[in-house]
Formats: sequence, structure tokens, C-alpha cells
Amino acid sequence: MSTKVGSKEASKRRPLPDDRLKDMLYTLKLCRYFDERMEALYRQGRLPGAIYSGRGQEGTHVGVAFGLEPSDSLFATHRDLSAQLTKGLDLRRVMAQYWGRIDGYLRGRDGNSHIGDWEGNRTFAVISHLPIAYPVACGAATAYKRAGDRRVALAICGDGSTSNGRWHEALNWSAVHQLPVVWVVNNNQYAYSTPNELEFRVSTIAERAAAYGMPGVRVDGSQVLEVYEAAIEAIERARDGGGPSLIESVSLRWRGHAGHDPANYMPAELLERTMADLDPVRNFEEWMLAEGIVTKEDVQEIAERVERAFDEGYEYAQASPFPEPTDVTKGLFVEDGYWDAEPGRGGGTEAG
Amino acid sequence: MASRAVESSAAGHGAEPRGKRSEDGQATYLIAIAEALWEEMERDERVYLLGEDIGVYGGAFKVTEGFFDHFGAERVIDTPIAEETIVGVAVGSAMEGLRPVAEFQYADFMTSGFDEITTTLSRYHYRTGVRLPVVLRAPSGGGVRASNFHSTNPEPWFAHAPGLKVVCPSFPSDAKGLLKSAVRDDNPVVYLEHKWIYRRIKEQVPEDPDFLIPLGSAEVKRQGTDVSVITYGAMVHKALEAAESLSQRGVSAEVVDLRSIVPLDEQTVLESIAKTSRALVLYESYRFLGVGAEVAAMIAEKAFEHLDAPVERLAPPNTPVPFSPPLEDAFLPQVADIEAAVERLSAW
Repeated sequence: MSTKVGSKEASKRRPLPDDRLKDMLYTLKLCRYFDERMEALYRQGRLPGAIYSGRGQEGTHVGVAFGLEPSDSLFATHRDLSAQLTKGLDLRRVMAQYWGRIDGYLRGRDGNSHIGDWEGNRTFAVISHLPIAYPVACGAATAYKRAGDRRVALAICGDGSTSNGRWHEALNWSAVHQLPVVWVVNNNQYAYSTPNELEFRVSTIAERAAAYGMPGVRVDGSQVLEVYEAAIEAIERARDGGGPSLIESVSLRWRGHAGHDPANYMPAELLERTMADLDPVRNFEEWMLAEGIVTKEDVQEIAERVERAFDEGYEYAQASPFPEPTDVTKGLFVEDGYWDAEPGRGGGTEAG
Repeated sequence: MASRAVESSAAGHGAEPRGKRSEDGQATYLIAIAEALWEEMERDERVYLLGEDIGVYGGAFKVTEGFFDHFGAERVIDTPIAEETIVGVAVGSAMEGLRPVAEFQYADFMTSGFDEITTTLSRYHYRTGVRLPVVLRAPSGGGVRASNFHSTNPEPWFAHAPGLKVVCPSFPSDAKGLLKSAVRDDNPVVYLEHKWIYRRIKEQVPEDPDFLIPLGSAEVKRQGTDVSVITYGAMVHKALEAAESLSQRGVSAEVVDLRSIVPLDEQTVLESIAKTSRALVLYESYRFLGVGAEVAAMIAEKAFEHLDAPVERLAPPNTPVPFSPPLEDAFLPQVADIEAAVERLSAW
């Protein structure tokens, strides 16, 4: 039941082979770039719907999802698109979803980061009512335990979710039934506009783990390898039948709750200091350079690959048609076969 | 219609054992439900049960008595009191290929799991195409002096959450055939048992392990020519009692049992109206925006040319279910109320 606070030793070691570390850098930079470009398009009025930036929290998202096998499942929130991208979602189909196109993973039936790809990448399609996916993760883990197939469910929520009854229900249940689950709390210090001190009285979220009879650990979300090592430990424990664990990964939400929120309730000085010192993407890039795992030229090449991937995704999304409007009532129940067949492709490609 | 008998023993908060069919092969509604679950669990390894006190104890109403010993703790899961997570576990395990049947101790407590039911379970297939073969069983309804928080008829709440099928059986055979269909259905089904019926109604129930009644099929429980009484659940029994009494006074009431609220078998209802030209919509959910409100509107839209009288509704008032026997009796439609309504309609 130990609660570890803010250790930095993870960044002193190489817990992964160099090619995997390079993949990790690519993923971090892709997630950051995607977040920035999508916000720019949103502000230009070129993106319909909403955006929920996860900037500054990529260390948590990439760190925990990097530890999962393809057959493990991920239950995330609207803020955790980076975790889903790490799990393997195709950026082109993600972007088609943002523009409401038929080639999005959900055929236009949900938007923005309320996305998932269960059949392909084992990610749950995000639901707004957080942490509504926590009990569902218990269900997937129930199936894994029964099958004895050493699979693991990993669920992410924010600090705000820990005030909700379902957070308690799911943690308690998972401990009672010793389910193979990893509970991750991305403590970005704000639930929309509400700071930690108005959400809970304990000093850390990790220490709550003791109340459920599971290990809890607190890690620095700006250190992706520290997050990754904590995740691997918890994932392996779950795989080996050791039951659930709680990981609190501390970061700061750099942007507002959603694209419309200027977040002027957040102290400017705190944000400036965090962006200067605790940037998970830059921290990792600098460490990779200092360790000699990548050169400046490698980093430049990665940045170019990231831009190309984004541009390809954008073009793919714009070229994808909208859903067929007359399909609006289809696929509510299984028997009409809507989801078993190729969908109708509507006309028009201009953003709504 | 199979023969039926009314048990003398009280239904409701029973700690009675599940028991077996009587010697003549008749089964109560409760036993028919237990048989359906047992057979489906024997048939398909993926089917499992979860709920509060359903294992060692056998369930608050003893529907699952004996299941734990036979099927084991992995397929009959006693859960913490955590309704959101009961539903969430059902959803997550269904996503991984299992076929959960979750029991709510009372339908009233479905509100404690409402978000997972109406936000996650009902919408997930429409959003994603993922199949969720989940059954939520719950004892609903009043008339057993169970008071406010143990007498709710929640069917309109769930009928108004697109993506859920909603079933309300009234007879043991229907209960069995519909539950077996629900377990085999690849969509989420809210299966609302009526606790007033549990031990009161018995009949011959088919033993064929593949005896199924399709969801979305109504049945005419009594033929008549003057007035159609469109109803479901425990009210079917009140309607049949009223129809019998009315027949002695020369009034012929037809009783249509919807059996499923979603999908709604409009055709059987409309065929009955075409025959009788008069409709009484009788239901136990609240009158205002209750199930019968939709049925009455449907009849008005689609059978207008057949109607000789306004469509009448008979249902409880918009209040919580009261406890004191005279209050609860005033709250629930009674046989005399049904007779009076049918006679009013037949006078047109």
C-alpha cells in the first residue's frame, strides 16, 4: 500500500529498447501537434463541434497506453485521445470523426474525441458522464478473469471523476473481485474550473487506494518514463492475478476544459511555470537527445513525419463523405444489419 | 389459452423457497422465470447472472435459489450494492462476448443504475455497432403493499431510452418464452417482472428447451367484440376478471396483452380496434406520458376511421405509490374501474 510521490529515477534508465523509445517520441510529438493544429482549425471556424485539449498531459496518456498489449482494453475520457492514438487508432479515421464523416470510427454517430475502436484496437467509445467507463472496465476485466487469458483493462479518468460515486463503486468492486484492472487518474488539477482543493480533502488521490485494499502510486505526469514504469508494474500485477492498482499521474491542464473555455480561473503564473518546466514532450525529447538515442536530425525527421501524418489525416477526412441522412434510424438494434454492411455514403464534403 | 389458477398464498416479500412445479405440471410465474434462466445457462456457457444476494441466498424473491450450487460463483455472482457497476459490469463483459443477466432486487433500484442503463447500455450499439446482449431483470409494480420504493413501474423510462427493448410479461408461459428470447437476443433487454404475479398465477408451461416467444409480439388473451382493452403486466389479470364479469352482463371485452412495450406490436392492437371500434388503454405506469399515452396516440393516428368512441385511458394518477391499503387501492386501477370504463365505451 505504498504511496510514492514524484520520483524522477525513471528518466535515468532506459526501460525500453531504443526503437521503442523513438516510437514513444514520435507518438508524443504526434499527439502534441494534433492537439495544437486541431485547436487552430477550431478557432478558425473550420472544425465543427467541440475540442477537448489534452495538452500538457501527454506523458500520462502515452505513458500508460504504451504499456498495453493490443488485446488489452482501454477505457478513456474525452481528454485522453492521446492514449487512444497510442493504442493504435488511425489518425485519418479519427479526423474523419471530427468532421462528422462516414469513414470515422463511429460513422458520424459521435463527434470529436468521443471515439473508440473496440473491434480493432480494444478502445471503449468515450462517454461524457465521467467516470461512466470505470464500471464498464470492471465488466471487461470480469470476462478476462473468467477466461484466464491474462488480459488487462486499463481505465483513465480525471481528478474530477474521483468525486463521483461510480469511481468508488468501481474501485471497490474491482478489489473485492480481484479483477485485472489498472485505474489511472490523470490529475490535471482542475475539474473544468474547480481546483483540487474543492474536490477532495485528502492530500493525494493515490492514498485513497489503501481504503480499497489495492496499491496506489503517485507519479509525475511530465515524466513519461516514470508513468510508463508505474503502468507496467500495475499491468503486470493485474496480468499475474494480483488484482487492481491505482495510479495518480499529476499534470496540469494547459488549456480550458473545452475549446470555448479561456480558463481564466487558472493562475497564470502556475501555467507559465508548468509549461516551462514540466512539458512532457519537451522533457522527453531533451532526454532522448542527451542520452544520444536520437540526433537533432532524427528529431527533425520525426517532426516532419508528424506533419505529414496530420496533413494526410486532414485530406482523408475532407474527402470522406457525410453519412447518408436516411440512415439516421438504422443500427439502433442489431437485426437491421446496418453495422454488418457497408454504410451508405451521403453527399457533400463541406464542413457543417 | 392455457388453464390457470390463482395461488392463495401472498406474493411479495417472500423468503419462500423456489420450489418446483406442482404435481400436475403447473408452474408459477416465478418458477417459469427460474426455469428460463436455468435452461439458458445450461444451453450457453456465456450466459451468467449477477446481482445483489442472488447467489448463496438465492435472491430477494428466491428466483435464483439453487443456481449458485449448480453453476458456481463464476456464473452466479453476488455483487456489492452498486447498481451503476452491476450494469457497467454487464456492459463490459458483454463487450467481451459474455451474455449477462443482471438482477435488480426491485425495479425501483434501477434508478441507482440509471446512467449506465440509459447513457451507456441503450446507446452504445447505435453509436458504435458493438453488440450488447444484456438482460436486466427487475421486479416491478404495485398491489402488494410494498410502498413507495418497492412498487414502481419504470417501463416508460426505459421505453424512452432508444436502444433498449422492454418486456412486461403477464403469464408464466409468456414469462418463460419471453425471457428465453431476451437472453438469446443480441440487443439489451429490460425485462420487468411483476411481483404481484410471482406466486399468484400458475399455468401449464411448455418444457421444450427451445420454447420461445418473440419479443415485440402482443397476444389477444380473450376474444371480444365490443371494446378492446389494451394492457400488459398485472393489469392483464384485472382486465380478464373484468371481462368475465362484463360478459355476464352482455358486454364483450377483448383483452390484448402487449407483452413487449418495445418493440410495440402495433399490428395486433390495430387489428383488435378494427374489430371492436372502441379502445380502453389500461396501464400501471403513470397516466401522464405513460406507456398507454403512446398506445392511445398510436390508435388515434392509425385507427381513426375504425373508432366509434374516444380512446379512453385508465391508469394510476401522477403521484408516488402510497402504502396504506385504501390509498394504494385508490391509486391502482381496479376491476370495477375497468368494468365502468368498458361500459362507458360500449355505450357509444
